[in-house]
Amino acid sequence: MKKIHIIGIVIIAIAIGAIFTTLNNTSTYASFTEATNEPGSEFHVVGKLNKEKESVYEPKVDANLFTFYMIDNKGVESKVILHKNKPQDFERSEQIVLIGKMNGNQFEASDILMKCPSKYNDGKPQETATNSK
Amino acid sequence: MEYIGEHLLIGKIGNIFVILSFVFALLASISYFFATKDTEDALSWKRIARASFRIHGFAVIGIIVTLFIMLMNHYFEYEYVWHHSNKAMPMRYILSCFWEGQEGSFLLWTFWHVIIGLLLQRTAKSWEASVMATISLVQAFLASMLLGIFIFEHRIGSNPFTVLLREHPEYSKIPLFSNPNYIDTIDGRGLNPLLQNYWMTIHPPTLFLGFALTVVPFAYAIAGLWKKQLNEWVKPALPWAFFGVCVLGVGVLMGGAWAYEALSFGGFWAWDPVENASLAPWLTLVGTAHLLLLNKQKGQSLFTAFFLAILTFVLILYSTFLTRSGILGESSVHAFTDLGMSGQLLIYLLFFLFLGVFLLIKNWKNFPKQTEEEGIWSREFWMFVGAIVLLVSSFQIMFYTSMPVWNKLFDLHRAPAKDVISFYNNWQLPFAFITTLLIGVGQFFKYKNTDIKAFVKKMALSFIISFVLTMLMVYILNFSNNYYTLLLFSSFFAAVANADYMIRVMKGNVKKSGASIAHIGFGLVLLGALIATSKKDIISQNTSGKSIESLGKDFSNNDNILLTQGDTLTMGKYLVTYLGKREEGINIYFDVDYFTKGKDGKLQKEFSLAPLVQTNPRMGNIAEPDTRHFLTFDVYTHVTYADLENLKVKKESTTDEYAAAKNYTLKRGDTIFSSNAIIIFDSLSTKFDKTPYHLDEKDIAVKAHFSVLDVIKKYDATPLYVIHNNTIQPLAYTVKELGLQFMFWQINPADGKIQISLQEKKSNTRDFIVMQAMIFPYINILWIGCIIMAIGTLIAILERVKKAK
Repeated sequence: MKKIHIIGIVIIAIAIGAIFTTLNNTSTYASFTEATNEPGSEFHVVGKLNKEKESVYEPKVDANLFTFYMIDNKGVESKVILHKNKPQDFERSEQIVLIGKMNGNQFEASDILMKCPSKYNDGKPQETATNSK
Repeated sequence: MEYIGEHLLIGKIGNIFVILSFVFALLASISYFFATKDTEDALSWKRIARASFRIHGFAVIGIIVTLFIMLMNHYFEYEYVWHHSNKAMPMRYILSCFWEGQEGSFLLWTFWHVIIGLLLQRTAKSWEASVMATISLVQAFLASMLLGIFIFEHRIGSNPFTVLLREHPEYSKIPLFSNPNYIDTIDGRGLNPLLQNYWMTIHPPTLFLGFALTVVPFAYAIAGLWKKQLNEWVKPALPWAFFGVCVLGVGVLMGGAWAYEALSFGGFWAWDPVENASLAPWLTLVGTAHLLLLNKQKGQSLFTAFFLAILTFVLILYSTFLTRSGILGESSVHAFTDLGMSGQLLIYLLFFLFLGVFLLIKNWKNFPKQTEEEGIWSREFWMFVGAIVLLVSSFQIMFYTSMPVWNKLFDLHRAPAKDVISFYNNWQLPFAFITTLLIGVGQFFKYKNTDIKAFVKKMALSFIISFVLTMLMVYILNFSNNYYTLLLFSSFFAAVANADYMIRVMKGNVKKSGASIAHIGFGLVLLGALIATSKKDIISQNTSGKSIESLGKDFSNNDNILLTQGDTLTMGKYLVTYLGKREEGINIYFDVDYFTKGKDGKLQKEFSLAPLVQTNPRMGNIAEPDTRHFLTFDVYTHVTYADLENLKVKKESTTDEYAAAKNYTLKRGDTIFSSNAIIIFDSLSTKFDKTPYHLDEKDIAVKAHFSVLDVIKKYDATPLYVIHNNTIQPLAYTVKELGLQFMFWQINPADGKIQISLQEKKSNTRDFIVMQAMIFPYINILWIGCIIMAIGTLIAILERVKKAK
């Protein structure tokens, strides 16, 4: 066997390894219901903030704890405990992606991604007079 | 309706330039194609082609100048100008506005291709026609991205000159446009504050020059295959490939520097899809360049060189597709939004991919059969292995980054894992280890065969020095991860062995040591990145003893510190005080002083940092870090939470007044929060020593027990509910240390719930910020390495170009 063949086999092995570990090292986009059915597994849950209910952030007590209620894309609501600071501009978020696990009847999120309408696309043409309040 | 004050002429001029640039790029491509034929007309075709490409270049510059004039004069009647700039923005950011949008960034890319094309017209000689045919075709494709015309109801490109704000489908219905003089009242939407940073003026042009340079080896490879000059293309393509390595490498790291300076994700590299999309082609470009070098010396690995040159350019197109099609969506911080051009991009990508693959297959039989196998102790063997390692590393990065594409193609629902960064790090670490080892030994290997005894002897010194340096670093930085220690060693080895080569073999001749210098730089880049990343120390751990840890044992996400105005807290080796906030323009700065304790126990001020939050009513609030740079480490801080509401209340209130009471209905075990404590309702009791309360015999008294937890201590609060002569006369309880007053108003015997009210001292609501601070040790090695790598590569290129003349 030539060296080039050995190299080829090694490369293919590594590439397959890369593909499989990649596929294994992903979490899944899911709803709260699916997360409840599999407590302990990590999920990405996409949804919207329930603005009717209170969200609590008391940095003086714990700067790394923020609780709120989110309604997922299927319409199921759950209490969310985020083990992080409250993100800037949280109320303005249009869509939330939570990363975490279901624990009892609350979702324990270790991270949050927000889609703000503002960041790239917001704003309509308007008169400067109404702007500069 | 007739509108007043619009500047429609300039848009028409711009549009003419757009059309000219497209038509003449196409014409140049066609005529260059015919100029390669061995016919009598070839020369006149070449003349036409040259002129066409120059007119195309002139038109591109015309587009750029026109767009600049529009931006500088605030012609908000144009959607592009309105979208990306406003009147309040300082002029120095005008360049950033220019390339914030997709159209502008395509222009930048096209512009560099023009410059490269004009240079090739002068230098490529016999290769001019065949190489420029491809480059002109690429230009025609890119120019079409600006056309903005409709063909069979499909829009081709997006044209900044023809899209008027009042005609834009999203905004045309707005009542503002019923005012014929709307121009006078309008202001632009403004530049994304994230991009209002000096890095954004230099990073995009550098990165796009790097992108543009990959077209040269690609065009040469295509020309070589097409004209069946399978070996001859290598020599002229070589310096271009290395120049691309230099510029793209610097561009990628500049992106890291921008992220480090202006974004608050806490580092210079986050394996963000956009970062990956420029790193992966850089890796294959490095592979290409080294194989070209190998080919020029020994004529080996020809097929792989072709393959990598083509792949690199296709990867650049793929990156462009990833970042501009909107497919990355939430998985990236700075992807562009979709302008409806992703289909077009995909067509270009597939076109050039198939062109390359087709020509490779067609020439399959023409590749020289390698009769002799490379010896295992030859330089060519290990250079080839190195290039393959880079290819595999690039593949791993791209495969994971493309997850949203796989989702779309195969209807999957996979999301990136929580800890993407360590996944990439774990995968890339062995690749980096092998690469740095090869960089170290590479030049000590001889072509064909190496005398292994002499080789070991030569390597011994570098090996020992690197080993000592590694041990020293392990000791200083308290390295515990064995894999990181291996990479630490191999990075040192890469730098040391090349320094050794430069000194002992090249006798310190700088001009001839370009490669060694570049390799030293690369070793240092990895060294700096490794140390800064693995020994990154988040010093803003909550130093307070008490917090409600019980809620999150799985998540020790304790990276934030709460700083209350005036208090001094320990953070790492510093003591920090939050002084207060100040407003400057749209920025709110949070001043924080850093002290150390001197020998006499007195506090000594070391420095101040003012991380900021940029507020923009239309774009939201964005935190930007502030970093103190020292020679051996950086202190990097950013505000993760701040109350921006009470901005106008500058001075804390010092009075002893209590704020208005808040009422709560609680059952046993319920928790409420005050601004400085957690309060838990524990129990009720009726049997207690009543003497201190001076109650009558007939009085009914119930005591409520509360646990009050602040960050340091637990307090007990026991307000009393008293019925005296049939009236409720509650006895308040005050936790003096916390400025909290409890009143117990009612008991509901049915469900056991009680009603209380809670008053807080006004001084409790002192201003505070939640901040994250981290130390990046030896990050300067990374930046210095980058500069050394660039200088080394440039020296090597200049030397090669000089030799060629």
